Amino acid sequence: MTQENQLPGQSNGFRINSRHYQDLKRKNIIRLFLTYLAPIIIISVYFLIQNNAVVSESRRLHLKAIAENQANLLDLFLNERLVNLSNLINDPRLKIPPDDSTLYTSLAKLKSSSAAFIDIGYFDSSGIQLSYSGPFPDLEKQNYRNEDWFKKLSSERREFLITDIYLGFRQKPHFTIAVKRLIEDNFIIFRATLDPGKMYEYISALEGSGEVNTSIVNTEGYYQLVTPHIGTPLESSSFVPPLEPRVDAQKITLDGRTFTYGYSWLKNAGWALIVQHPRHESWSFFSGGQWKIMVLSAVILIIVSLVIIHRARQLVIVQIESDQTRAQLEHASKLASVGELAAGIAHEINNPLAVISEETGLMKDYLNPEFEKNLSREQMIEHLDTIHEAVFRCRDITRKLLKFVRKSDVDLKPQNVHSLLDDVVDGILGDELSVSNTEIIRNYDPQIPEIITDGNQLQQVILNIINNASDAIGGRPGRITIETKLDRDVYIAISDTGCGMTADQMNQVFMPFFTTKEVGKGTGLGLSVSYGIVKNLGGTIMVESEYGRGSTFTIVLPVKFKSGIKQKSK
Amino acid sequence: MSDKIRLLIVDDEVKFVDSIAQRLEMRGLEVTKAYSGKEAIEKARQEKFDLALLDLKMPEMDGRKVLEVLKNEHKFLEIIILTGHGSMDSAVECTKLGAYGYLPKPYELDNLLDVLKNAYQERLRKKFQKNQERLDQIMSFATGASPLAILRKLRELDDEAK
Repeated sequence: MTQENQLPGQSNGFRINSRHYQDLKRKNIIRLFLTYLAPIIIISVYFLIQNNAVVSESRRLHLKAIAENQANLLDLFLNERLVNLSNLINDPRLKIPPDDSTLYTSLAKLKSSSAAFIDIGYFDSSGIQLSYSGPFPDLEKQNYRNEDWFKKLSSERREFLITDIYLGFRQKPHFTIAVKRLIEDNFIIFRATLDPGKMYEYISALEGSGEVNTSIVNTEGYYQLVTPHIGTPLESSSFVPPLEPRVDAQKITLDGRTFTYGYSWLKNAGWALIVQHPRHESWSFFSGGQWKIMVLSAVILIIVSLVIIHRARQLVIVQIESDQTRAQLEHASKLASVGELAAGIAHEINNPLAVISEETGLMKDYLNPEFEKNLSREQMIEHLDTIHEAVFRCRDITRKLLKFVRKSDVDLKPQNVHSLLDDVVDGILGDELSVSNTEIIRNYDPQIPEIITDGNQLQQVILNIINNASDAIGGRPGRITIETKLDRDVYIAISDTGCGMTADQMNQVFMPFFTTKEVGKGTGLGLSVSYGIVKNLGGTIMVESEYGRGSTFTIVLPVKFKSGIKQKSK
Repeated sequence: MSDKIRLLIVDDEVKFVDSIAQRLEMRGLEVTKAYSGKEAIEKARQEKFDLALLDLKMPEMDGRKVLEVLKNEHKFLEIIILTGHGSMDSAVECTKLGAYGYLPKPYELDNLLDVLKNAYQERLRKKFQKNQERLDQIMSFATGASPLAILRKLRELDDEAK
């Protein structure tokens, strides 16, 4: 009884952590990930890239606008300073040469218009500072003839000049603006130095300067003005803007970090104003609300992943359940077909047993003095032979029975379809069919090669179908036709002239527990399991039927058992 | 008319029929052997039997069919079904068709003898009952009938009792 209650395989092989199901679970997870997450991720990445490009472009344009704006204002500032100075030199009331007190007044005027002015000096064409007013009186009488700015201003036809920032005689960063006034054949020059620090303060006060670092470089790429943590003045800059276009913003990658610079060349001086965001790009990537989106996405991703893993587990459980059900069905049907077979076979066994019983009884009777009979040696041997023959008839039947029930694993071997069919028709069913009124017609296609399949399981299916055919004929005179055909696959068609099926019955014929037989006669499992077996062998079963005329079941099998179909493991 | 029980054995299992026939003859029965349904029906037409042992599963003509024919043709023949089939369903069905009883193969001889004895008694009882009915008929017929008519009726009755 315990054997019946415990299903084979329930105790082993159906656990979720077995290798087969682990595999299945992994495949399910991958499939679900690909189905649900991959498109989301691809779309997200696409939009992120798109968004970044837009953000990056707008940042670039923004920086360009800031740079242009600031440069304009700085130009304006420098222009104003030049105008301040040129107003002084072109003042018709100006005494030439001006003395120190005149310059002192002039410096006061300049300082009142801008705190950036440090000092003022007067030169004639000799290049010697003739008069001076400011904090460095030592500079008076200094000869500037060889200074670049003086040479440029005196030689060229220009009226003003703004120098780069330099240390000069005083060893402090400053820059010079100078204006020239032609007086007949000669010229005089006013020169004023300005404190770049003051100019930097001016720039810092401009609109938009709070969000950017502003620096100024000359055409050689040396810093003129710079935020202290970026560099120091007169150091060379990491970014040298091109001369054309005059105003632009560019992306530069330095040491693996990407920066966007906006720049604008000044009109009055050989300087470019450069603005940049204080942080590099990858930092600004997460700036603003983007990190919130990232966190939200991560949370969604985790939830979806958990759901997917859970779902994959569920799928495996469902698979396990259906495998278990199938195993139960197979087992139940095996028991059922054994039951059916046993009833049929009982007759075959009981007959020889009855013979044995009678023969032994007869011999005992002969030995019984009551009957006063004698048994000759020959008669004795004859009776014993009969018994012997009956015993071996029984043995043959039990052998057949065992052969039928023993194997359940798919056992692939080259099989001759026709001898499999003959085995069933002549061997297993031979006696049963020979006593009925059923005529068996065999119409075999000699071209059919040996096929790779499980002979025992296929025989079980054939036996089941022929049994059904025989039941459908039900004792009336009838005909079962077994036809084989090779058309790429192997077709085995078993037709009967029995009662046939209605369309409704035909639709349900492969469903488990569906039966048209009387209560207790059929289990309704035979065809359902046959269907499972043939599927498992890589083939199909088809059914055609006409009510009252008969049915045809066609088994289609591949010549070679196709790989990839699950082969049950031991 | 012998006083032995006349038995017809019908089975396609030749050796079985031969030995059972021999054993029953040793025990005082008059046994006729038939190896097929057709043979049995023919033999039953030729001579009268009290009882028949009938196997259900036989080629050509099924035991059930033979049962129907025999029962139809011989009213007082009691038929006992022998079956090797595991399930008793078909045998029970046969009792509904008029078989006296059934016995699964293989059986103990004593059981068979018991069944045969009971079946024979049943046959006698039925026959007696039938005769009684006839007698009653004749008695009612007799009031007012000619002695010659009464004699003819009695001869009829005697014929049926064979």
